[in-house]
Amino acid sequence: MSRQWRALDALARDPAFVTRAEAEFPMLARAMAAQTDRRGMMRLMAAGLALAGLTGCDAGEQGGILMPPVHPAPGTVGAGSDLFATAHLAQGYAEGVRLRHAAGRPIKVEGNPLHPASLGGTDAIAQAEILGFYDPDRDIGLRRGRVAQAWQDLLTAMAARRTRAAEDRGAGLRLLTGRVTSPTLARQIADLRTTYPEMRWHQWEPVTRDSVRAGALLAYGQPVQVRPHLAEADVIVAFDSDLLSSAPGHLRFAREFAARRNPTRTDRMSRVYAVEPAPTQVGLAADHRLIAGARDLARLVPMLAASVLRDEAPADAPPWLGAMAADLKAARGRAFVHAGPDLPPESLALVHAMNEALGGRGTCWTLGAPAEADSAALGESMRALLDDMQAGRVHTLLVLDANPAFTAPGFADALRRVEFSMTMAVGPTETAGATHWLVPQRHAFEDWSDARAFDGTATILQPQARPLFDAISPHTLLSLLAGPAPAGSQDAVRATWAPQWGDAAAARWHDALATGLVAGTASPPIDVRLRDDAARAAPAVPDQPLTLSLRPDPYVWDGRWANNAWLQELPRPTTKLVWDNPLLISPARARDLGVRNGDRVEVRRGDAHRVLPVWVVPGQAPEMVIATLGYGRQDVGAVGSGVGWNVYPLAGDGPVSLRKADGQDELASTEHHDPIFSDAGEYVRHAGLDAFEADPKVLAREPALEHLYRMHPPGPAAWGMSVDLNACIGCNACVVACMAENNIPVVGKQQVMHQREMHWLRIDRYYEGDPEDPEILLQPMLCQHCEQAPCEIVCPVEATMHDSEGLNVMVYNRCIGTRFCSNNCPYKVRRFNYYGYTKEEHRPALARNPDVTVRARGVMEKCTFCLQRIAAARIVADIENRPVGAEEVVTACQAACPTQVFSFGNMAQGGTVVERKQSPLSYAMLAEQNTHPRLTYEGVIRNRNKDVGA
Amino acid sequence: MTRPSPGDPVALSTSNEAMTAHVSAVPFRAQPFAHYWLAVAPFGALTGVLLGSILYLFYAGVGIWGIDWPVAWGFALINYVWWIAIASGGTFISALFYLTRSEWRNAINRIAETMTLFGAACAGIYPILHLGRPWFFYWLFPYPNTMGLWPQFRSPLLWDFFAILTYVTSSVLFWYFGLLPDLATMRDRATSRRWQVFYGALALGFRGSSTQWRHYHVTYGVLAAIMAPLVCSVHSIVGLDFAGAATPGWHSTQFPPFFIFGAFLSGFATVLLLVMALRRLLNLQAWMTGRHLDVLCKLMLTSSLFVGYAYVMDGFTVFYGGEKADIVNYTARLFGYYAPVYWGAVLFNVMLPQLLWVRALRVNQLLVTLLCCGVIVGMWFERYTIVVISLHRPHLPSAWGLYHGSLWDWLTLMGTAGLFVFGILLAIRIIPAMSMFEMRETLEQRR
Repeated sequence: MSRQWRALDALARDPAFVTRAEAEFPMLARAMAAQTDRRGMMRLMAAGLALAGLTGCDAGEQGGILMPPVHPAPGTVGAGSDLFATAHLAQGYAEGVRLRHAAGRPIKVEGNPLHPASLGGTDAIAQAEILGFYDPDRDIGLRRGRVAQAWQDLLTAMAARRTRAAEDRGAGLRLLTGRVTSPTLARQIADLRTTYPEMRWHQWEPVTRDSVRAGALLAYGQPVQVRPHLAEADVIVAFDSDLLSSAPGHLRFAREFAARRNPTRTDRMSRVYAVEPAPTQVGLAADHRLIAGARDLARLVPMLAASVLRDEAPADAPPWLGAMAADLKAARGRAFVHAGPDLPPESLALVHAMNEALGGRGTCWTLGAPAEADSAALGESMRALLDDMQAGRVHTLLVLDANPAFTAPGFADALRRVEFSMTMAVGPTETAGATHWLVPQRHAFEDWSDARAFDGTATILQPQARPLFDAISPHTLLSLLAGPAPAGSQDAVRATWAPQWGDAAAARWHDALATGLVAGTASPPIDVRLRDDAARAAPAVPDQPLTLSLRPDPYVWDGRWANNAWLQELPRPTTKLVWDNPLLISPARARDLGVRNGDRVEVRRGDAHRVLPVWVVPGQAPEMVIATLGYGRQDVGAVGSGVGWNVYPLAGDGPVSLRKADGQDELASTEHHDPIFSDAGEYVRHAGLDAFEADPKVLAREPALEHLYRMHPPGPAAWGMSVDLNACIGCNACVVACMAENNIPVVGKQQVMHQREMHWLRIDRYYEGDPEDPEILLQPMLCQHCEQAPCEIVCPVEATMHDSEGLNVMVYNRCIGTRFCSNNCPYKVRRFNYYGYTKEEHRPALARNPDVTVRARGVMEKCTFCLQRIAAARIVADIENRPVGAEEVVTACQAACPTQVFSFGNMAQGGTVVERKQSPLSYAMLAEQNTHPRLTYEGVIRNRNKDVGA
Repeated sequence: MTRPSPGDPVALSTSNEAMTAHVSAVPFRAQPFAHYWLAVAPFGALTGVLLGSILYLFYAGVGIWGIDWPVAWGFALINYVWWIAIASGGTFISALFYLTRSEWRNAINRIAETMTLFGAACAGIYPILHLGRPWFFYWLFPYPNTMGLWPQFRSPLLWDFFAILTYVTSSVLFWYFGLLPDLATMRDRATSRRWQVFYGALALGFRGSSTQWRHYHVTYGVLAAIMAPLVCSVHSIVGLDFAGAATPGWHSTQFPPFFIFGAFLSGFATVLLLVMALRRLLNLQAWMTGRHLDVLCKLMLTSSLFVGYAYVMDGFTVFYGGEKADIVNYTARLFGYYAPVYWGAVLFNVMLPQLLWVRALRVNQLLVTLLCCGVIVGMWFERYTIVVISLHRPHLPSAWGLYHGSLWDWLTLMGTAGLFVFGILLAIRIIPAMSMFEMRETLEQRR
């Protein structure tokens, strides 16, 4: 029978117990043996409490503290929240970001103005990354064959692999990663290769950009990267270009592009031609959007090259080609041609040749070394790996940051022949389910690492919080392959940089963290001569009548962001589709097939076939059928699993057939109206540059209206916004930024189909004219903050009202949900909580912005002009006893926008917004409603070439 | 029984005693008349459905309905306007024709007022159900509160709140006050103690002294003089719920009279329907004659012409005003997705009632029943047109959309229909279905 005791105190004096405790916990025994009086006890308790709090603050690494930026960008307000620099990785390339922390946790991604690939802007994916960071599905745990393991087991297993790899000098050891720009990862891999000389490293991205690399090889003999400087280009020709959407550095390009698009702010507006099979973001902002399928492009690029390089006038060229070529040649030195990654390498080589001939090198564009640690043709790299796996030459495979089981057909089969496979992934993936081991990877926002931007600029990624879930760093995992001692990720990163910095290491490390980039790491322009035969490259013209193009989804990308609900529910730039990836076809092909939106068709290529619904895209080449990658994931988490259809199996080169199939699928799009509208110009006013030059007020047609009610008296501030439609490329970064900043819930596909999406800010898309080749117009639409607001007078309980600073404010607590305000809003910017959407979200409460009220069921909500940011600035101004400055407040949409579409400020203090509102292009939406909106638009001016025609 | 004819006198039998005995016998019958339960059971069940759908609504929220982003108002508002219009017709017959001393009104005013009562009850539920947070409905009331907040007096919804409150209160008063002498009669004729106490309490001590009658007539006259304009103002305000907004399809100065016309049309049709049903069910053919049918049909025809005029003016003002959004909206009404609903309203409310120009058809009970049902459905279509069709084409094409009522929308509508009929069926088992004291006056005069 065990000894009975009456109190812990009595037990503590029991010599047998003390002996046992001493053996087990020597320090505890000492503590218990010490005499404790009441004061001592209090001291211990206080210390215990303080220490318990401290664990919440440590950075998860020894000596780790998080550092705020020491060089704030001009005009930045640091009211009540802190910004910490790091980077978002897009296809391996760094985009500098700064995370806004509130209440001690990261809550919002902002651009890093100092970073060359951001310039302060962000894209939609970077904005949504904060939701990915808090994704509860990331909690996967260390697993072997789906069974949870202890970390000790991993050490044991890795020790065995080290032995095995040492036996054959690494010949059977393979490392598969995504595109790597991280100097530290590259260093570790190089170290591994010295340990295991025959080890091979493969890289794989499903969106390979191999064609771009091959084109550069053809043209220059080395994989150089073109770095456009679009602010210097007078004429831009873009062939199916991803320059503004996903090319590495696209945020910077978009900023520079937009700088020349508003004739009231630039001396010379650029002229942009987009020749493309389906609307791209360049096409949306272009002066001329010319539709050309893959076959047309394969003919058009050589024709333009002939015209530019040899002054030939090809006989069968379309009429506009000559005018375009003439325009390019007239702008010699200030002309730039770009082609997207879907064009064949020969076409890309011709584009290089044209650019050289046009003489823009050094002004409009430069050449730089690739930012990747090891520039490789990813397709070949994967094929080599698959061959080796099939042949049984691989005994150990380590997959880092890649999901080949989903994105590389054949990988899952080949994997069965590998003796030991391990996946490291941030969340569940198909590959993780197929390999023997699954190692949870730390999210980039909770780990130390580094990465390079498109121009080589390195950023040190610093953790923004302690790891939310039990996970390790890829740097640690790689260190386990090299030796028994696991390296901390911070040590690994320091080990890369410290030798380069020498004595200045401490200061430079600090600066790198504070500014978000390592100064002086941008790779300089390189001088390499164009190969002579580049101009003679001849792309093969495909002979198939139908081209199936597999393109990454703009937001879910290759599938890696499929579990991000913000991105799933983000309307695609032109189709406005959410939560799905139907086959995109042209109106002409839809007519031929006899299908409408949602009807199913069967696509067949070789043995692979898929039955998919279609979506008709006005302005798409009839020859083209576009399938979107990234959907149909089965193992990704609660949000993205089973959403859409996997089209990776359709990859290949064979001929494609298409036929109507039975049945229909319901698709959710946030644009519900008839696709073609005859006079969208009513809403998105637009005119040609010549008309603007003849009469700068060409877009002004404001009616002179009396107002019946008196205007609100001016208050201490007057908030206003101006939206420059010339700069909008429809990237949707603003929409996600708004969701992140304002705790806007996602509602799911069913509710979107029911027209209950909650976006406070939406980008309206209008088609005008011919359905086959329409004018596409974009317009960010948010609360206009009317000075005579129709919503305010109809609310019976005054839940929406005007404040003294001109804001139309919404008092959630007072709202009883009559929805009359929404009915009476001419702009339809109000959103209603039909259900308790916020409550149902797959998202911890921790992830929300603590400064913004979370709305309950039955309450109306809408854009507040980021009232919480205004309030923060107001507090600072009040303390300093001064009015809030003109540009002291930056709204979330404004901060995110890569092209500076939005300007916002206190109009009582002047500033940019006042200037922009005085622009001759400025107009108020639905001015005849006499609502006096505080938000105005600058209409679209298109710099058309009259020789090109409509 | 002879077939009713438009030439019928206002009462076929002039015996006071026979009338009183016949009418007062209905509540006293131990066994209800034939098929009563057959009628009560389904409508009682529907009332249960209403209760169930309201409970689920409060549990799940208005998301269970079909309302969406552009069409934020749906069945709740359609049904509200529809019911309040039906209710108004009853008040109109009872009050206005009292003031004009129309003798045919005496036989049917009780039915009309009872209809008003339950119509207003059905209507009154919806504005509360419609709210996103119905438990705060009392915030509409300008009561002194710790928040120091008043409601927004410029909002038509606030006017509407007062209008409904006034209307429901005064309808109940008017109905109850009109019942007093009959309740006294019932008390006097009751043989069991139970009924004597019941009716005695309700009769509030009305003994039929000449002083009481003098006061009674004066008060009733004053009430009627208040009710007749009130019903117009209530319905004008219902019209302003829409016209007060700047929304295309709503922003029209003709809405207040337009809504009154519609109210008369649907009110007359419902009264007519009830008269035809109850005269048969309770064997009241001797006092509800062909003349009543004729008069009500003529009223229905007249109000149908008014409604037709309003439809024409609706189109006229849109094109005369020339605002683009209004024209787009109106064109969608005529030719868009919901065009059948609009044309259904035109057919049922304006075109088919024109048959009533033919004298013989006005007493053809089958046809008139069908026409009345048509009008009732047509008026619902009209409200669907106003609420849904107007909202689905707002100013900006980017916000255009569609709307479909959900299962719960339909169940709630059916539920209120159940409550309405169920309520009337219960009422005629408790109160005299015809105003006995007023009929006595009529019969006296005719003798």
